[in-house]
Amino acid sequence: MSSEALRKTPLKESFTVQGRVLGALLIREVITRYGRHNIGFLWLFVEPMLFTLGVTALWTATKSIHGSDLPIAAFALTGYSTVLLWRNLPGRTIGAIRADSALLYHRNIKPLDIYLARIFLEVGGASISFIVLGVLFIAIEWISPPEDILMVATGWFGIAWFGAALAIFLGTASYLSELVNKFWHPFSYLLFPLSGAAFLVSVLPRNFQEIVLLLPMVHGVELVRDGYFGSKFTPIYDLSYLLVFNLVLSVIALMFLRYVSRRVVPG
Amino acid sequence: MIRVENLCKTYPTRFGKKLVLDNVNFELKKGEKLGILGRNGAGKSTLIRLISGVEFATSGRVLSDMSVSWPLAFSGAFQDNLTGVDNVRFISRVYDQDFKHNLAFVEEFSELGDYLREEVRTYSSGMRARLAFAISMITEFDCFLIDEVSAVGDARFHARCNYELFERRADRAMIIVSHNTSYINNHCNKFALLHDAKLKLYDDFEEAYSDFKTKIGLADSKVTNDPRPKFAAQSRKQLIDTSNTSALHDEKFFNKVLEAHMRGEEKKWDEARDGYASALEIYPFQGSYWTQWAHMVKDGGDPELAEMGYRTACAFGESTGEVDEFFTHVLKKQKRFPPVNPLVGLTPGPAHEQPSTIPDVNLLAIAAWGQEDVGREELIALMREHPKCDSLFACLVEDERFAKFHAEWLVVEDGLGSKALKARVKRARPIEDAHLWAANLTSISNAAESERGVHKISQMIEVKKDALPILLAHGGFSDWPKSQAALRARFG
Repeated sequence: MSSEALRKTPLKESFTVQGRVLGALLIREVITRYGRHNIGFLWLFVEPMLFTLGVTALWTATKSIHGSDLPIAAFALTGYSTVLLWRNLPGRTIGAIRADSALLYHRNIKPLDIYLARIFLEVGGASISFIVLGVLFIAIEWISPPEDILMVATGWFGIAWFGAALAIFLGTASYLSELVNKFWHPFSYLLFPLSGAAFLVSVLPRNFQEIVLLLPMVHGVELVRDGYFGSKFTPIYDLSYLLVFNLVLSVIALMFLRYVSRRVVPG
Repeated sequence: MIRVENLCKTYPTRFGKKLVLDNVNFELKKGEKLGILGRNGAGKSTLIRLISGVEFATSGRVLSDMSVSWPLAFSGAFQDNLTGVDNVRFISRVYDQDFKHNLAFVEEFSELGDYLREEVRTYSSGMRARLAFAISMITEFDCFLIDEVSAVGDARFHARCNYELFERRADRAMIIVSHNTSYINNHCNKFALLHDAKLKLYDDFEEAYSDFKTKIGLADSKVTNDPRPKFAAQSRKQLIDTSNTSALHDEKFFNKVLEAHMRGEEKKWDEARDGYASALEIYPFQGSYWTQWAHMVKDGGDPELAEMGYRTACAFGESTGEVDEFFTHVLKKQKRFPPVNPLVGLTPGPAHEQPSTIPDVNLLAIAAWGQEDVGREELIALMREHPKCDSLFACLVEDERFAKFHAEWLVVEDGLGSKALKARVKRARPIEDAHLWAANLTSISNAAESERGVHKISQMIEVKKDALPILLAHGGFSDWPKSQAALRARFG
């Protein structure tokens, strides 16, 4: 760091500042994104809810998959919610530093804070949507309650982590090259059918399973589904693969972040 | 204290690395105010950003035990689609301060009223500046970074900003970057010049300023004062338009008038007048600084010449209402009470109908007599007798000096379209850079119909004697009836 204080700030104080900054950024982000009109920040989770509801309704109506005794509503809910969780995150962080670079004039706000605020908000929205819809479906008895909530939470957390690391990686990379933005869109569309949202790994042919299991989110979705209705199918996943993948991606993302932070020229 | 140690900054560009700051060192103690001079793009703002910590240095470091502000009054620091109030709330949160107290201050200081509850994107630039400054004053810092604070806002707003900054916060350290050298002179006690990526420190403003002038080529301008035209205006009207706007963006012009302004503040009227005159040599058709020039002439005790200055200013678009008070004053001083007010504003219509001005006299005298400066008495007499450009030029043509200067053509019997004239025009070889006077003369003579044309014609005018033949050959002055009559009489 080239501009440094002679007095070292105690860690506790740093945490307080960090919390304050993140809180301020979160509220600012909510207001800038959703404004104060109509239902305001409720859109945060109403928007993903509408998506998931639509997809669930569509899949239920067409019974498009496998015709087995799988609970189709739970299948759609877990599938589409997880897609929203990881796929929307990079969309929030790509270009974020450029858009918010003026905020960096405030000494305590760093690029990571801008990313974290956006990530928390997005993860929060997707999670609330997932929970609310889950509770709603259970209440109207479309689906039965999860068999193992902790397992659902673990899977959910794993995907959120993956999404966050991916978001920081792509966000920082997009600062270095505009191509990232151009390629991410088609790429994320292509990833969707492979991501495990619309299939169970166990029904795939063996050699195809191996390829699909290279994708970390597939492990996450399987884990979430294992928690929800694991007794109805054979889940195939490897939690440690997901965690190691996340860890490596996080390290790379933070390296990029460090590289970019040193080169940001605020507007 | 802030200590800047061996600070270097390079930016990658398409053409390789550009060194913006090269080994910058300085120290700033509590209460010290450092003013940084430097031309546009010298890296002043970069230095401010490095100190504020938003940007990282390539090497070297900034150490401080003071809290350092963000660059003050920087209006980019708030979010456009938030309201003013939301912005205040955000800053209060980030800096852990009482929101209600802050809002009360911002409401009082910015005087934005209900607009504070509107989105910032609806604000005018003046309103933004008021909000930005008010928000900057919310948080208390030990050191303030000020980057061009005087760019927007009216005089009253500036006075209040200055009170908040330099009186209420007189004990703080400050780093001030500005084009406005007098602003730096008034508020700083340490000075620095940033040039060619190097920072040099001074204790004395005059010393810093004279170095600054040398570096940006202001100091020696007296010696090489043959500025080149920066644009080719197609008509006199366009010349006035373009001069008025582009002069204000011209660094050289700006610095010259700033210096003249400083001399004026010191009541050195003659120096101030010469300062404005030297700026106006670059943009003779710029209106508002002719007013300043006239003020200096008036205060220097020459009401007659001042009268001509005011007339010139108004002819170039200064508001006659504004100027009238001074104009009446200089007329009274001369005990002259003309029946018709000679103060005329910007007149639409062709050049020959437009009011004659000081630069017109000078330009037309070059064309007619080859004389750059007709002198004070003659200038006053000419402008008084010939309020319009056409009759002014006709009078110059009828003068003896015209016959002498253009004797070569006048002996030829076949008049304006003479063979000798044409041959002379044909012989003219374009020079690389046109003379400024040639370009301006071409513009007002209306010889060309396009900017390209003006450019080409003015390039052919290498010496004064050639100006008139070349312009006439291209149809210049053709719609000036009185001048045409006078010219015809000359050429038989």
